[in-house]
Amino acid sequence: MKPTNALKVISTAALILGFCGLLPAAENSVLLRNGQIITVSGETIPGGDILVQGKKIVRVGKGLSVPAAAEVVDLNGRWVMPGIIDSHSHIALEGDVNEMGDLITAEVDCLDVINPQDINIFYALTGGVTSIHTMHGSGNPIGGKGIVLKMRWGKSAAELVFEGAPLTSKWALGENPKQSNSMGMGPARYPKTRMGVEQSIRDEFEKAKEYKKKWAEYEKKAKAAKESKGKIAPPLPPKKDYRLESIADILSGKLWVRCHAYQSEEMLSIMRLCKEYGVKLVCFEHGLEGYRVTNELVEYGVAVSTFADFWAYKWEAYNTMPQAAALCAKRGVLVALNSDDAERMRHLFNDAAKAVRFGGVAEDEAIRMLTINPAKIMGVDKRVGTIEPGKDADLAVFNRHPLDPFTVCEMTMVDGTVYFDRTKYLEGQKKAEEEEKKKKEPEKKNGGEV
Amino acid sequence: MRKIAIVLVSILLLSTAVLSSKPDPARLFIKNATIIPVVGERVEGGAILVEGGKIKAVGKDVQAPADAAVIDASGMFVYPGFIDSYSHFGLAEISAIPSTTDFREMGKENPELRVAWAINPHSVHFGTGRVTGTTTALVAPSGGTFPGISALIKMDGWSFPEMAVKEAATSFINFPMTPRPVGEGVTAQKEAKDDVTSKLVEKIRDYLKEARRYLDLKKLAATDPGVRAPEYNAKYEALGPVLDGTLAVIISVEKAKDIELAIKFVKDEKLKAIFRGCAQGFKVADKIKQSGIPVIIDSLYVGPSDPEDGYDAPYRNVVELAKAGILISFSSGDSPAQGKDLPYHAAKAVAFGLPYEEAIKALTINPAKIFGESDRLGSIEAGKDADLIIATGDPLDIRTEVKQLVINGRAIDMSNWWETLYQKFRSRPEK
Repeated sequence: MKPTNALKVISTAALILGFCGLLPAAENSVLLRNGQIITVSGETIPGGDILVQGKKIVRVGKGLSVPAAAEVVDLNGRWVMPGIIDSHSHIALEGDVNEMGDLITAEVDCLDVINPQDINIFYALTGGVTSIHTMHGSGNPIGGKGIVLKMRWGKSAAELVFEGAPLTSKWALGENPKQSNSMGMGPARYPKTRMGVEQSIRDEFEKAKEYKKKWAEYEKKAKAAKESKGKIAPPLPPKKDYRLESIADILSGKLWVRCHAYQSEEMLSIMRLCKEYGVKLVCFEHGLEGYRVTNELVEYGVAVSTFADFWAYKWEAYNTMPQAAALCAKRGVLVALNSDDAERMRHLFNDAAKAVRFGGVAEDEAIRMLTINPAKIMGVDKRVGTIEPGKDADLAVFNRHPLDPFTVCEMTMVDGTVYFDRTKYLEGQKKAEEEEKKKKEPEKKNGGEV
Repeated sequence: MRKIAIVLVSILLLSTAVLSSKPDPARLFIKNATIIPVVGERVEGGAILVEGGKIKAVGKDVQAPADAAVIDASGMFVYPGFIDSYSHFGLAEISAIPSTTDFREMGKENPELRVAWAINPHSVHFGTGRVTGTTTALVAPSGGTFPGISALIKMDGWSFPEMAVKEAATSFINFPMTPRPVGEGVTAQKEAKDDVTSKLVEKIRDYLKEARRYLDLKKLAATDPGVRAPEYNAKYEALGPVLDGTLAVIISVEKAKDIELAIKFVKDEKLKAIFRGCAQGFKVADKIKQSGIPVIIDSLYVGPSDPEDGYDAPYRNVVELAKAGILISFSSGDSPAQGKDLPYHAAKAVAFGLPYEEAIKALTINPAKIFGESDRLGSIEAGKDADLIIATGDPLDIRTEVKQLVINGRAIDMSNWWETLYQKFRSRPEK
């Protein structure tokens, strides 16, 4: 073997192994020592250590030995949890998230409008959030495609994308697609009722089936023409329709459906529809009345991504209670607590405490609603959501237990890299204030008014 | 009815509640409690005697009269009821449905409008808003430059008069806000916009000047037959107590520069002012302190008003204002549906450095002082209204449960809309 080839083999192997987290990336090896580790996958480890190599967690336990060249961070008994995962967000997107130009807009894609400079990415990190599902708005029965991002603040749009996460289709039922609360903001359009909303989805499925049939026929004819060696004239292909292509991806299960719904009746209705067409309905967004139909949600196997206690802002958000998340969880529904709001995202850990207070879930279960549960809903649970060897080193460090009312997030790590460090933030702030003072001083000397 | 309330106490407190044989509903005795009176020292294993809606005695050696209803608060903590310094309780049910909201009138100048009799005592948000310990709330109108007159109420009662602490508590002025310049380095534009703010302040001054002229003329006409009285003007009439300093006025103001303008405005117009908001108060804390104007903090579930202030600016702001010695109080903000979050806003400030005692004061005795009711509200002291929180722990901790509220000496019904739904749907059989 020539030396150049050997080098190639070695470097390729290193790349593959490095990507799988089996090979330590020597330039980034961190031992987080002496923390209260909320693993989520198992018991909380008091006075535990986490060894991070490259982008991955490689070891978790007590009294881990320090590998050579590893940076040691003493947590001094502070609390570490898996990075918080927000399964319903609209941040880091350019402009409006509702394509209101048409009723069904399944083809538009959040991937095309990622805004890596949105300051809310940084704010997310200050609240311990490391991954989000950011999505199209709720104005359309079938809206655009959503995307899972990691909060790699400072990186490019492409680098924010959570590699390999399933793509999603955002649906919406109820008052928003009915435009119940935006009367007079534009010409009235179909649908105006829940009946119409369901029908508009059903109509689209039928269109997509027809469309797919046309393409299948074309391909069959094209094949025959090719095989006939010129005896049969090649057929003209049907017109490409990106919208129906996307609907077809919904019908094939390639796109995971995230369906905005409040009222329990529309959840039942849409579950029936999805069953009929074999659609992969993964999660009801908000699902404020989900607690009324837990039997049906469990039977179907659909999750609920909801608020801890946001309610009464419109009629369909009135018949609920802060006990809703807890009641769903206790009855076997997979529940995530989400923000749907750039500010609420900063204190999701406080929201989790509300699930403990109202409805009385165990604290561990409340933490799961911020970590492994949303990870499952987003299809990234093999990568994130717990503190275990082999998982991404996405961690949030708090000075007190995350459910303690006086807790502060002090450090947030994504892929083994610290993206938020409160100590450094405070140092920077102090420096900026001193510089500001210095700037003002000469003014004083010159007799300037202060 | 009162007997029912007492029975409810015993049910809600389960085994801890012990009723004496012949309870006098006018007398309530809370024993074995850890009492945080706010004014005065913490009492372990203390008792509170309530009589005729007032606190009669507090301490270790208070004896139970034979005819008092008794609440055994072993293992529990008793705090003075919290005061929400700005809310729309009773004026808004569902924010998106106009027929259920009554806090915002049309037009810019409505200083004469009073919320008091528009309050719906049976709004679901009273029941849900109470679950974390709020016993008193300022109910405010909003919108425009002069939104109207607020009422200070207790969170319980069959009608407005039964709830009222003060029918006319404060007036309001929404101060114009200097907009943030678009983009960087647009100094000229910034200057221009600042001028707009000053011009808008001038407009408010002109309006007040007109009101003063009207009131002066009216006074003159009363004594001088040669002077014709001006035509009755309800708006100027309503500004009378504001202009003579007998009615406090809440001024909503956020930016540092605007706060400075507002301080000058208050001084020039000789108003009895309370600031609300002050998101950038930390930048001019010494000036606010000098002015003697107290500050009502808005909801802390909010981002920084300017990203340059830092992500934690809303919390740091509260810490700095308190450090400067400014009288501060907390409020739940614009949505009565989120009214129960009041103590959680205080907790957020504590997390970022506000001393715990200051946070509790800013929920109790501080707002009592700000609204001129510190002789009645804000602490557990003999002679004050019996507004009490009986909780399983620290009421700033989200995980704590308020077991019982006492308002005007009544152990009130703690059931609410959420509890009704919860009891109904938890009883659905599981498959």
